[in-house]
Formats: sequence, C-alpha cells, structure tokens
Amino acid sequence: MSSYSATADHANGDPKNYLNWETGIRSWLFTVDHKRIGLMYLFTIMTFFIVGGLAALTIRLELSSAGADFLTPDQYNVLFTLHGAIMIFLFIVPGIPATMGNFLLPLMIGAKDVAFPRLNLLSYYVYVVGAIMALISLFSPIDTGWTFYAPYSLDSGSAVIWMTGAAFILGFSSILTGLNFIVTIHKLRCPGMHWSRLPVFVWATYATAVIQTLATPVVGMTLVLLIAERVFGVGIFDPAMGGDPVLYQHFFWFYSHPVVYIMVLPAFGVIGEIIPVFSRKPLFGYKMVCYASLAIAVVGFLVWAHHMFVSGISDMSAIYFSIITFGVAIPTAIKVFNWVSTMYKGSISLETPMLYAMAFIFLFMIAGTTGIYLATLAVDVFYHDTYFVVAHFHYTIQGGAVIGLIAALHFWFPKMTGKMYNENMARFGWLFIFVGFNLTFLPQFVLGMEGMPRRYFDYLPQFEPMHQLSTIGAFLNGLGYLFVFVNLLWAAFLGKVKAPSNPYNSVSLEWQTQSPPIHENFEEIPVVDEEPYAYGVPVEGGAH
Amino acid sequence: MFRYLPEQGSEIAPRLDWIHNWITDLSVFFTIAICGAMIYFAIRYRKQGGVDHETPRIEGSNFLEIVWTVVPTIICIWVAYYGIVIYNEMVDVKEDPEKEFVLINAQGYRWAWDFQYQNGKTTTNEIVVPVGRPTKIILTSRDVIHSFFIPVMRVKKDAVPGAYSHVVFTPVRTGEYPAFCTEYCGTNHSSMLANVRVVSEAEFQRWKNDRSDELSKLAMSPVDLGRSLYVDKGCNACHSLDGSAVVGPTFLNLFGSERKFTDGTTTVADENYIRESILYPASKISAGYQNLMPAFEGQISDNEIQGLIEFIRTIDGSQPVPEPVAAEEEDVDLSSLTPVERGERLYREKICFTCHSLDGSALVGPSFKDLYGRKGKFTDGQEYVADDDYIRGSILEPGSEIVEGYVNAMPPYQGQLSDEQIDDLIAFIQSVSNGD
Repeated sequence: MSSYSATADHANGDPKNYLNWETGIRSWLFTVDHKRIGLMYLFTIMTFFIVGGLAALTIRLELSSAGADFLTPDQYNVLFTLHGAIMIFLFIVPGIPATMGNFLLPLMIGAKDVAFPRLNLLSYYVYVVGAIMALISLFSPIDTGWTFYAPYSLDSGSAVIWMTGAAFILGFSSILTGLNFIVTIHKLRCPGMHWSRLPVFVWATYATAVIQTLATPVVGMTLVLLIAERVFGVGIFDPAMGGDPVLYQHFFWFYSHPVVYIMVLPAFGVIGEIIPVFSRKPLFGYKMVCYASLAIAVVGFLVWAHHMFVSGISDMSAIYFSIITFGVAIPTAIKVFNWVSTMYKGSISLETPMLYAMAFIFLFMIAGTTGIYLATLAVDVFYHDTYFVVAHFHYTIQGGAVIGLIAALHFWFPKMTGKMYNENMARFGWLFIFVGFNLTFLPQFVLGMEGMPRRYFDYLPQFEPMHQLSTIGAFLNGLGYLFVFVNLLWAAFLGKVKAPSNPYNSVSLEWQTQSPPIHENFEEIPVVDEEPYAYGVPVEGGAH
Repeated sequence: MFRYLPEQGSEIAPRLDWIHNWITDLSVFFTIAICGAMIYFAIRYRKQGGVDHETPRIEGSNFLEIVWTVVPTIICIWVAYYGIVIYNEMVDVKEDPEKEFVLINAQGYRWAWDFQYQNGKTTTNEIVVPVGRPTKIILTSRDVIHSFFIPVMRVKKDAVPGAYSHVVFTPVRTGEYPAFCTEYCGTNHSSMLANVRVVSEAEFQRWKNDRSDELSKLAMSPVDLGRSLYVDKGCNACHSLDGSAVVGPTFLNLFGSERKFTDGTTTVADENYIRESILYPASKISAGYQNLMPAFEGQISDNEIQGLIEFIRTIDGSQPVPEPVAAEEEDVDLSSLTPVERGERLYREKICFTCHSLDGSALVGPSFKDLYGRKGKFTDGQEYVADDDYIRGSILEPGSEIVEGYVNAMPPYQGQLSDEQIDDLIAFIQSVSNGD
C-alpha cells in the first residue's frame, strides 16, 4: 500500500471534488482537467455508440428473413457503412483510452494531470470537428463500407470525401492523445512508481499510445491520397489510370490492423485491474502480462496483409503474413492463462465488474481461437469475407473492447461519480448482454461455415434460420445495454448511495484519494513503496 | 463437434476440412479447459459470508509461464505448417497430359459474371465444368473489385480491375452449386450469383461444343434477334402480337402510339420508352394493367434491347405477323424420355416458367414447387386440392377458377395440348412437389 491515504472523506460537509469545485457550462467546455475531459469523451462516444447500435439493429431486422423486407439494397449498404464507420472511428478507437485512460492514467501514477493538459482539451475538440464532418456525410449517404476500398470508393457518392476527411481529422485526435499519454507515463510518475510498479492498465495504455502515435499517420496519408485521387485524379489507386487498388489495401490495413489493438489492449488492461481486486490476489505473472502487451503492439504492426490473403498478393507474402499472425496468438494466450491463474486460491467475490471480467475471458477465448482459423492460410481462403469474419471481429471488439469498457465503467463508477449503482440491476444488464451477444454472433460463425458472404442485403433461403437467431440475440443484447445505461445514469444523477473512497479495498493508487477525486487528484503527491497488487499474505517462493 | 462446412465438392476440400476440424477440436478443448478452470476457481474459492478469507500472495510461476508459452507455440507452428502445406496444394494444381485444364476466362462487373471458354463459347452467370478434371478460372474485373467464391470447391479469389488472378479446383462430384461475389461491390452485390454446374466429361464436351445458340444470334438481323428474344425471354406469355390484351399490353401498333399510365400521365412509345419499360418496368404502368413484369436490368444487353425495339417496331399490322420461331429443336426421340422429362421440356417450350417458378417464389402465377396435392382456396372462397383433375382443368381452362391472391392472366390451352402432353406436365409438377 502507498503511504498516501485519503483524509478528505472525514472532512465536514460536502467535500470539494473535481465535479463541484467549479460549476457552469464554461467550466466544462474549457476545462483542462483530465477527469472532466474523460467524462466529456465518455458522453460523446456513448452517444455515437447508441447511434451505431441502432444502425446495427436496423440491419439485423432487415436480415431476419430472406428477401427485401423494408429496406432497399442501397439503404442497407448505407446502414452497414454507417454502423462500421461510426462504431470504429467515433466510438471504439477513442474508446477506453480517451475515456477511462484520460480519467485514470494520472490518478494511477500519482500525477496531478496529464503532461499537456491543454493539448488534451485540443484532442477532444479535434475529435468533435471530425465527428461533425462524419455527421455531414450523412446528408449524402456513403455506401463504401468503413474500409473505403478503391476503386469502388473513387466513383461512389461525394460523401466519401466527408467521411474519409472525418477519419483523417479524428486520427489527429488519436495521435495527440497517444503522445500525451506516452510523455505522461515517462515523466509524471510519482516517487517510487517504478516501471515495474505500474498498474497493468497503465502498461496497456502505454502500448496503445505507441500504436496510436506510429500507425495513425499512415491511415491519415492513405485517406489524403484517396481524397487527392478523387479530386485531382492523381492515379495512384485507380486501375484505369495505371494505379493499383491493392496498394490501397496495404496502406489501409497497415493502420487498420494495429488499430484493432488500440481498441482491445486497453480492455486487457481493465481486466488485469479487476481480477486481482475481486480475487484478493496479485496479478499472476505481472511482468509477463506487461511484456505481452508490448509484444502484441509490436507484432501487430507486422501482420496487416492477413486481411488480403485472396486479394492477389503473392503466395510467398501470404505465407509470411500467415506465420507472423500466429505470433500474435502467443502473447494473447499468455494473458488469458495469467488472468485465470490469478483466481487460484483467491477470495473471489462475483460483483458486476468481476462478472464482466469473467465474461470477457470466455468471449475472448472464442475471439482468439476463431482468430486461429483466420490466421491459417488455407482455412482463411474459405472464410475470407464471410460471416465467420464478421462474428470473429465482433467477438474481439464487442466481446473484448466494449465489454472491457462496460466492465471499467462499473468498476470505476464509484470513483468517477462518488455514487454506487444498483448491483442487482447491473447483474441483470450483464446477463442480457452476455446471452444476447452470444446468441447474436455464435449463429454467425455457423453462417460463415456454411459459406454465407458478408455485406449481403439478401441471402439464399438456406441461411435463414441462423439469421433469425442472430436477430433475436441482437435485440436482447441491445436491451442489456439499455439496462446498463439506465442503471448507471440513474445512479450518477439521481442516486442517493454515496460511494466510499475505496469500496473494493483496492491497493491501487486511484482508490487512495477521495471519491470523486479532488481537482488535482491528491492532497499531496503520494509516494509508492510496494509492488502493485500486494494482496494476500506473503508466502515462501511466491516471488518470481 | 461443430461440423457445418458445405459438401466437399473438390479434391482439396477434404484436406482443408481436415485441418479446419482439427482447429475446431483444439479450440473447443482449450475454451472448455480454460473457462472450466475459471468457473471452478470462482466456485471453489468464492468469498464466504461476505468476508474475505486469507489468500496467499502468489506472484507467478516461471515454470507455468514457460509451459503456457511453449505449448501454444508448438500447436500454432503445427497448425500454421499444415495451413501453408494445404494452401500450396490448393493453388498449385498440376496439369498432366491425362487431365488437361479446363480454362475459363471470367470477367466480373456490376453485377454479373461473364465467362468465356477456350473455344470461344460464352456464358453469363453460369459455368459448366466436367467432373474429375481440373478447372482453372482466370479472373479479372471491368469496374470495381469483385471476388469469386465457390463454397463447395473451397476456392476464393478477388477479381481486380487491371490485373489477373485465378482459382483452380478439381470437381469430384456432379451437381449444381452457387458461386458468390464476396467483395462488396455496391447495390446488387448480394445478387451477383453464378451457377456452377458439374457434369460428366461427355456432357461437358457436348455442352461446350454446342454453340448454335450464340452463333445463330450473332448472325441474326436485329429484328430476328428481337423475335427470338420475344420467345426466349418469355415476353410472349404476357404481350400478344395480335392486339389481344393478355397480362400486359399487346405489341401490335405499340410503337409510336400514345401511352396512358396509371398516374394519368402520357408519353409516346419511342425507343427510350421501350428501353425504360424493359429495364425498369415499374417506373411507368400502363393504365388498365398491373405492375407484374420483372425488371430486366443487368439481364439483357444493349444489343438485345435494340433487337427488341426493332422487333416491336415491325409489329404494325401492315404485314402478317410472322410466327415466332422457338430456338432450334435438337432431334430427340420423345418416346425415349420419361414423362417427367417430357413434362419438363413442355414447361420450357410452352414458357410456363415465366409465370410459375420451381423454387417457391410467387411470380405472376403460383409456384409449381410443392403444388401437387396442396390445398387452397379460390377467389370465390371455394376450397380445392391440387390433384390431377385440378391441374388438367387449370391448363385447359384457367379462367374458370382463380386461386386466391392471383389474377386471371393465363391463356387457355384448350386444343393446343394433347392428353399425353397434359399427363406429362402433371407428372413433371408432381416431381417438383416430392422430395426436397
């Protein structure tokens, strides 16, 4: 345990905290407090999560029976493009880093704020500008899919420029956040917070920030090239002018594969924080878990062409990319083994954050093992662009990143709001999400096995039963999120149950200050003198 | 566990399915083992009575870390190795003198596939290949990227504009299988389907060398082309040449006449109007008629449209209407065929198919699929059972009883079909009602 402990809990009356020390709309819009910026991000991206989710439900409704139901093919194509583009660029890429990362990073390393607070606010407004551009594209809908593949995107509607322009701008927001976090972690750790004492969430955020800073510029360049191609006809991707459409795919996936780890690595960090607290055990193999994050970040840069095994790349490069892709499986497996081992001989309480963590492990086992099929060269030839890929992707991103975010929201809710949510309602929401999610996407694996291609407005009658199951699941899943949002918003704004500063008796730094934290986080700069996750009674040979 | 892959239609399929099923078994095993351990721990070490019990501060185990790094690594290397070996078998099919490649050039375009065989035979959305001989399809695209995927053959490759790629496979059984476009290409991406028909070598040769159809059309004048399309595409089922109103307006004196539409507007039937009516029939509906005609967008070439326009232009009553000639009949001894086969020929010759589908979809009339023996209601509320007598009556005098949900659109065949022919048709309808 650190030598710092909260004193403000026992102060008289309502203690000042980051939520009430300043009031008024200007105090939010111009805040440079990382906690307030984190909350602003949270509300903004959650709004887009709802929009993207409604698009998904509309898609599932149309697909619930073969043939045209209530959409035209063009409307369907616009909807799946919006679902993908909104969920990726406006929701899950900012996702955990911009919300929970912003809120927690300085608290976890004992700092008053991030290294560049004004830059942090700029990131948020750059994001808002990008989001507005994306919304403008809705007026002349875009139908390219979120991947904007050339040459289709070169002669599709003009909204392509708005949406790719939006993704370009949003990229800067991501880069600035990444830079800010890297400098913060290097320079602002409190006394005694060695690298080997950083919480795994900080390690995961660090690995994420490296990818954000190094990979995002590439997609920025790619999208600018695409816009230049459309506006000036430079002929780099357009085969009619001697360009190479496959080159676009290389550029695009060079970013868009690593970006998957931007989405999911922070969720790994969240799970690594939750399991020790609710097991009363140190995180098993802490160092391996941290190295695994870095290994995933590095190897993740070298596997992009596994999205292109049937695109006409040479057999030699296909073989290379298949082998390297298996390299991502190993560190991911190591993490799962360590999480589960942490529970061994623990004192386990199954509160909502722990339920989400366990659901995460189950869902991520499916996400990971189905990734093995897709890494296997011959098998991927069959599965490429089928529903198997759709299901695999949603298991990693919804089952991984989104469940991670929802787990984090429940886990740190008392710290962020100073309130407690209704535990039964939260478990109810968890149940619906877990059952609904699996019912949505397990049938889609079967569809993929049967050969059903993705991005299909209509399908052969043989695929109908699985589509029906999937649609039912999607609505249960959506209902689950509704329960979660209602429960958390109710508790935050109308709830009467005050949270203590450390409701879970955690040893991490962020729980040692009051709930909600004061404006500058700690009354005095804390000093760390112990390993992270120092739970339980020391045993012989328990060290590394 | 979890064996859902489609039928194994090619030589490579069992190989691919073998490694695929190994991955499934390993995945299921590890998922159950790890999640089983997790659930076991959660129950076995559950906090009792709301009070934490003492826990040991176990920080890790180098031995275990090595085990769970090395074991997955070995498994991954094994799987990756066979993934590559089988991929090489898949792409590296050798041609030997006994088994020459069937070479097909394929061009994808929004939203269909054109195929051309080495002897010049061309098809759209259909390939016929022989069983037991490797087929190599060389792919390219005329517009955006498409992808050619035959699930039963386990092959897939993108068709990229400005570049060539190929798939190669050796079919092992006869049958008809779908081929999908798997690279998103816009509005009708999901209906960009091709039909792969695997037949015996002899039948393949006969099919490939029978080019009468294309050649005769190439040599035809536009009017003759239009006249043959009028029959082939089934226009004659709904549009008469003698002025009688059937399901749709007659073609007699259509060209140049003023058309009235259901919304009250009018237009003169010129080339543009006819073209629009063929491609997008729903855009203008002639007064007194219903919106029943299927759209021919993407199913008919510019050349063919011109042929039809020229043909319709000639139907002005100034000369006797030439009897439309059906495609040249091959000499077949009808008595050597089964009643069902003869019925199927009639189904095509008499163009029943334009209004009665075989796949259950409702067109102008009820589908033949599962028709035989079906119970239903007529528009006057009376019930019927689709037995021999009912079908016979429906063919000879269709106007006497109309099935609920449909209109009286079918011409009577009284005096045009022999009793044997009607029996054949009944046998055929019965055959598409049994089994699947």
